[in-house]
Amino acid sequence: MATLDDSDRTSVEAHTDPSRIQDTGWTMSEVWSRYGPWVVTIVNLTAFFCLWQLFAMSGAINPLFLPSASSMFEALWHGLTTTAPPGAVVSGSIADHLFYSLRNLSIGLAIACVIGIPAGLLMGGNKYVEMILSPYVWALASLPRIALVPLFILFLGFTVKMQITIVVLSAVFPIMINAWAGVKTTEKSLLAAAKVFGASRSDLYTKVVFPYTLPFIISGVQQGIGRGLIGVIIAEIFGGSNGLGYLIRRSADTFNSSLMYAVLLVLVIVSLTLIQFTRWLEAYVAPWRHMDRL
Amino acid sequence: MKVAEAKALSESSPAADGATPVIVSKGLTVGYKLHRERKQLTALRNINLTINRGEFVVLVGPSGCGKTTFINAIAGLVEPWEGTIEVNGRPVTGPGPDRGMVFQDYALMPWRTVESNVRMPFELQNLNLSKEEMNERVRRYIKLVDLSGFEKSYPYELSGGMKQRVGIARALVSEPDILLADEPFAAIDAMTREAMQSELERFVANTGQTVVFITHSIDEAVILGDRVVVISYRPGQIKEVVDVNLPRPRFDYDVKMLPEYGEMRDHIWRLVKDEALQTARGVQ
Ligand SMILES: Nc1ncnc2c1ncn2[C@@H]1O[C@H](COP(=O)(O)OP(=O)(O)OP(=O)(O)O)[C@@H](O)[C@H]1O
Ligand SMILES: [Mg+2]
Repeated sequence: MATLDDSDRTSVEAHTDPSRIQDTGWTMSEVWSRYGPWVVTIVNLTAFFCLWQLFAMSGAINPLFLPSASSMFEALWHGLTTTAPPGAVVSGSIADHLFYSLRNLSIGLAIACVIGIPAGLLMGGNKYVEMILSPYVWALASLPRIALVPLFILFLGFTVKMQITIVVLSAVFPIMINAWAGVKTTEKSLLAAAKVFGASRSDLYTKVVFPYTLPFIISGVQQGIGRGLIGVIIAEIFGGSNGLGYLIRRSADTFNSSLMYAVLLVLVIVSLTLIQFTRWLEAYVAPWRHMDRL
Repeated sequence: MKVAEAKALSESSPAADGATPVIVSKGLTVGYKLHRERKQLTALRNINLTINRGEFVVLVGPSGCGKTTFINAIAGLVEPWEGTIEVNGRPVTGPGPDRGMVFQDYALMPWRTVESNVRMPFELQNLNLSKEEMNERVRRYIKLVDLSGFEKSYPYELSGGMKQRVGIARALVSEPDILLADEPFAAIDAMTREAMQSELERFVANTGQTVVFITHSIDEAVILGDRVVVISYRPGQIKEVVDVNLPRPRFDYDVKMLPEYGEMRDHIWRLVKDEALQTARGVQ
């Protein structure tokens, strides 16, 4: 049909010559803009802990409220390098409790995704499902989840099931609502283009709606992780004898402030790591969204 | 004339006068429901137009007069309120592989690379092509729109004009009988634009495709069209259909130098200007 081989358009080619894309070297300011923030952060944090140490050593505040930075790091080191002897009823090790909390959090998040993503997609895709589910979703999403903790303790006791249930309830709604919103806001012109080029109804979902919604789902999971982490700590603070929440309560009960600060630091690190992970995931599956943010 | 010959050759079953109607719009009225205000807006009223095989028809008219709506109706994206629209003798019920479209707002999938966007029609419709043929065509059409070397780029990495050219390649890659092009060169600079116009003229002369082309540039309308349809403002109606009897290929003959070109151009310009003035008055 078409004969295009004679398309020798030298006049136009100059505009979009691929050789315009060149390797550029590193300038000093580029190196700094890349590694500078790390240097600043390291210096900043070191200064922070040094000041803390000096302040604590000055004795201005009772060490019960503010332990020295060094004793906190000591508790942290000890807690992360030792594990409870086999058969021990209660462990004093941070590593054991961290593992326990993370496991419950992961299981809960996985369940929240398995429920939340399809439910959100269905709500976005079908107006009857949306009509029926949306009052419950909004009601439960707006209810402070912590108010449900006593109820689930009543049902399930201080069990792993109770803790996982709290995580699921905390994380499922942001995931669901984001997926729902993603489907609803899918650009009409993209759907029109897919239709023109022959998309069936199921193609529209798999080739347009889902990829469009994916970054929404990821930011839902991001919020879900934050909420889920709160959920798991609260559930553990309420009761049970495992997890970082339990360790915080126990260190308070035993006036072990170094341990408590160490656990809080671990929580900060865990939370930051998880958030960074989802950012990375977003940049990986949706680079076009990542560019907008820069 | 050269055009007539080329057309007659590409025709499979020419009618007595050598023209086979491909797109037939009879009393077509289309509009949109405005949900918020419980109103409906008539975008196009009583459009009667027959477009023959191999014809290059250009639509011009003031912004908002319903040009996009008309090609959406041909594409099967909007339904007629009244009247009928037929493609190849059958009423349009939805999009089909016989029609390809270049969108005014590009409508490229942001998660797909240039190559993958161009390949999309092959994924969505079965054209009985081998893998090699598909790859070859994708490569060929990316080259045609001068984007070789950008196959792996994402739309956000491209300029507006480059995105538009991806849209053109995507519309052409399945080699549809009918090409619907909604201001395909609007975001492209004057020099490249002229090159692409000449390329398109040559291309459709070879393929015998029927083209419905929207533009705001009256020069572009006259240089490309066999007929120029001037649409009036709200609700859009056909104001005049101007036959452009200039020799083809227009770029080889340098028709811009011909006195008829200037006359035609002025005539259409006056028609559109009247409409645009009415639009402006209507707004006041
Ligand atoms: N999806 C829609 N919903 C409601 N009204 C619409 C919609 N699309 C278009 N319209 C209305 O229909 C009319 C015609 O629109 P259309 O897009 O066909 O114009 P156009 O001639 O292509 O304009 P332009 O040259 O600016 O692209 C406009 O007045 C617009 O307000
Ligand atoms: Mg338009």
